[in-house]
Amino acid sequence: MIRVRALQKVYPGGTVALRHIDLEIAAGEFVALIGPSGAGKSSFLRCLNGLIAPTAGEVEMDGEPVTGATGERLRRIRARIGFVFQQFHLLRRLTVLENALIGRLGHVPQGRSLVGWFPVADIVRAKATLQRVGLGGLWDRRVDTLSGGQQQRVAIARALLQEPRVLLADEPMASLDPALASTVMQLLRRINEEDGITVVTSLHVLELARAYGRRVIGLRDGRVVYDGPPDQLTDAVAAQIFSGAQP
Amino acid sequence: MTRTARWAGWVAILALFLWSASATELSLLRMVEGVPFMLDFLRRMVPPDFSVMGNAVTGAVQTLQIAVVGTGVSALLALPLGFAAARNVAPSWLFYGARSVLNVFRAVDTLVYALFFVAAVGLGPFPGVLAVVAYTTTVLAKLYSEAIEAIDPGPVEAVAATGATALQVLRWGVLPQLVPQFLSFTLYRFETNIRAAAILGFVGAGGIGFYIQTYLRMLNYPAASAVLLVLVVLVMLVDFASSRIRARLV
Repeated sequence: MIRVRALQKVYPGGTVALRHIDLEIAAGEFVALIGPSGAGKSSFLRCLNGLIAPTAGEVEMDGEPVTGATGERLRRIRARIGFVFQQFHLLRRLTVLENALIGRLGHVPQGRSLVGWFPVADIVRAKATLQRVGLGGLWDRRVDTLSGGQQQRVAIARALLQEPRVLLADEPMASLDPALASTVMQLLRRINEEDGITVVTSLHVLELARAYGRRVIGLRDGRVVYDGPPDQLTDAVAAQIFSGAQP
Repeated sequence: MTRTARWAGWVAILALFLWSASATELSLLRMVEGVPFMLDFLRRMVPPDFSVMGNAVTGAVQTLQIAVVGTGVSALLALPLGFAAARNVAPSWLFYGARSVLNVFRAVDTLVYALFFVAAVGLGPFPGVLAVVAYTTTVLAKLYSEAIEAIDPGPVEAVAATGATALQVLRWGVLPQLVPQFLSFTLYRFETNIRAAAILGFVGAGGIGFYIQTYLRMLNYPAASAVLLVLVVLVMLVDFASSRIRARLV
């Protein structure tokens, strides 16, 4: 359960990313976050796992405050939240397996992780997860030799290996061509259905949100302007989210 | 930029060149007059006298050793300095301080440092090592700091987002981006240091340069050319090996 109260984010320099956001996301939901660029989607997702600190308001993850958490407590919260980035953010000189194992850093003894000597159980687990996202046998490849779609699946495997309760994805399809976009969406959907992991993903394509989201949240100018099922997301409502036309 | 300003710029550059050319007595005639002497010099160098091979190899090995130790120590010293001189890591007081110190020390070349250290610690390879360290540390620190500034923050953030500790973020988010580049820069400086260390002997700081200078001074040109040939082979071998390794690093 994610609980967001009166969330506000103003960047130094005065850019207002989030004005006032109140919402709850129950465990196991699949939420598509839509809105024009600059609506605050990234800032919202980054506040959820404490990658950025909000200016005001609170975020709670399973009853535990994310806002204000530091050090060990923040790390424990983050370890339970997978985050998938638009630009993948993999270590491009490392192998597929090494990148995936980074998802285990919150679980393995620090000393062993620093010398790169991961426990066998974690390696087995990483390989199984890579197999699951369709990258079996590519373990030893450097990630910069993979296609964009494969790289994003490495990033998803890295997030899954955290054994997260929540998976946040910031426009995970924006760097991929449309055909790959739907396979990544299907993968996120499977993760949500098979593992019961809450998925919150921002999307830049309305059609994807309609096709895959069970709940759609529309953001505009740092506020929630739509929150409901995809079938009530009419063209008129969409136009309001994206062009700003008043109803 | 206006047309006139551009023309004025070109005229100024031309004027600077002509002024410098006359001051340095640039003369095609004098060069042509010198050609017979150059040819004579070269003629005296052949055939090389390979009876001095023992000395040549001893000198070459010592040059290699000076470059190895000098580059190695420099790489270690340059690590903290590189981070101190990186805008995105160091606090601004440290950054400006470190950058200024590096710029001052880098203005002086290895050979000048060698003169200084020979006076300070005496003749031999040790002042040569110190000279290599003094210059190379500043160059490597500058190169390292530029690599640190060019680091992609995305993967670093991604590792932090997994709940990793600061040390784990350093190990898995930062080092994989830096280590190959650091190694590559260090190897490149090692190549350059072989050449720099080769002339250190001219000022008494050890290595193959000592033999080149001694034989030239004794007018023993065949011996000097044998030593020069050994130097050429050493430089080519090191360049070849180093560039092969560097190509695999990037």
